[in-house]
Amino acid sequence: MRLAGLHKIYSSGHAPYVALDGVDIVISKGEFFCLLGPSGCGKSTLLNILAGFEPASGGSVTSGDVAVTRAGRERVMFFQDAGSALFPWLTVEENVRFGLRVRKVPRQERDTIVAKYLQMVSLDRHRDKFPSELSGGMRQRLQIARALAVEPEILLMDEPFGALDALTRRRMHAVLLAIWQHTGKTVVFVTHDIGEAILLGDRIGMMSAGPRSTITKVIEIDRPRPRDPTDPQLARLFHEIEALLAPDLDRSEHLDHEPAE
Amino acid sequence: MPPLRSLLPLSGLAKHALGAPPNRRAAVPGPAITSGNGSRRYRPLALAAASLLIAFAIWQLLSTFIFNPFLIPPPLEVIRTAIPMLMSGEILADVAISMQRVLVGFISGSLTGIVLGVLLGRIRIMHDLLDPIMELLRYLSPTAMIPIAVIWFGIGEMSKYFLIFWGTFFIVLVNTTAGVWRAPITRQRAAECLGANRLQIFVMVMIPSAVPYIVTGMRVAMASSFMSIIPAEILAADSGIGYLLQKSSLLLQTNRIFVALLTICILGFAVDRLFRFLVDRVLTRYMFYVAMI
Repeated sequence: MRLAGLHKIYSSGHAPYVALDGVDIVISKGEFFCLLGPSGCGKSTLLNILAGFEPASGGSVTSGDVAVTRAGRERVMFFQDAGSALFPWLTVEENVRFGLRVRKVPRQERDTIVAKYLQMVSLDRHRDKFPSELSGGMRQRLQIARALAVEPEILLMDEPFGALDALTRRRMHAVLLAIWQHTGKTVVFVTHDIGEAILLGDRIGMMSAGPRSTITKVIEIDRPRPRDPTDPQLARLFHEIEALLAPDLDRSEHLDHEPAE
Repeated sequence: MPPLRSLLPLSGLAKHALGAPPNRRAAVPGPAITSGNGSRRYRPLALAAASLLIAFAIWQLLSTFIFNPFLIPPPLEVIRTAIPMLMSGEILADVAISMQRVLVGFISGSLTGIVLGVLLGRIRIMHDLLDPIMELLRYLSPTAMIPIAVIWFGIGEMSKYFLIFWGTFFIVLVNTTAGVWRAPITRQRAAECLGANRLQIFVMVMIPSAVPYIVTGMRVAMASSFMSIIPAEILAADSGIGYLLQKSSLLLQTNRIFVALLTICILGFAVDRLFRFLVDRVLTRYMFYVAMI
């Protein structure tokens, strides 16, 4: 996946707002790429453009050799708010089946695929439950199964575990890494949690705070997985990234609190 | 966001659903609920019964000792009047004809409201063109339309159907539009990623997402139908509960008026409960509301 000179300008207010200003990245197939930055830096905007939900104002996004113009099942988005992303009137099984039903996949093949991915996220025992009967972690696992069932090439994840408690989040990291290693999908993972990015990513793209955000630095992490959060090398990296982000964090904090002062 | 006034937050149904997410297992109280605190389960029911009994007792005392029992007949007197009316089938006939009017108007109004509401929720230009008209027309309550309805349709059944239709249609329309509009963008995008085309997103995602709103609109419209059938029958009918009220008033039969009033209370309550029961039975999986978030 290649992003070149990507711009995004919102012109709805009285002054046009430049959200993204010249983003260039190349994400290779099978890579786990984290986008890290302070809140409001345009990470989600960038991900929406990658998914094809929003058009870029300038620059290009290509996936393979094809320009991304609209959303499609080769790039599946994974949302933080599972409550509104899932189909609450469908059971676990029916949620996973949705992407196959809209493509009119034959019944038998459909059932095999659904069973396979439900098993992969260990939800096969809960197949007849409704999303409202699931815990937060189970809902996110259901989202993973539903996404994998359409056999995408890229998983786009927008702070997917941000709403989970710390323990569940740790478990979800393990689940996601296992699935990633098993299926060889490309993952673009947006987060504002440095620790999360370090534990998961092959590379971390650091974004500056908006407006006019861009990728300021790409950090490579070649530590073996599963990674230990107490690994001294990772700890050093954590501090390094924290120091890099500090000026931006101060800036975005300041902007956030200005009206309250 | 367009200026849509959803009735959802006001609805008792919504609150009901907030507290109780659709849960098939919850429908069958398990042993954990019954054991030890069986009395607590019946407490609301007992309190409701007590509330009614006390109210009747106070009413009985007041109209026996303080008020003129002709103007406010005591409950026992009302019941004594009601029994022969029930036995002869007089009330039943009036209830049947009023219910028939409500149902015909309500069902046709709901269907039209849902179809048009779904289109307004989807097609922006249609909404922008029709919304100003709806904004004005919705102030014409069914009661305000009675005089013209009588001229258009006479005092036969058609005028009552029309009036109930009129009241139901706008409420269901506004709620349906709001429901379609508020289908979470996240959910639409999720469906888009999974390969659904625009028609599939509309039919398989947006409409199901709107069901709770539609149901709430229908429930409010049902209550409003009960409010508007009475004046319609008072002014322009020769049968029905409203007609019974009017006739009894002309003959100064206050006992019979109170029987008719009580009938309206009981009927409205029963129909609402029935409606909720049917929704629980048929649409459980769609009644998710905020329970998910």
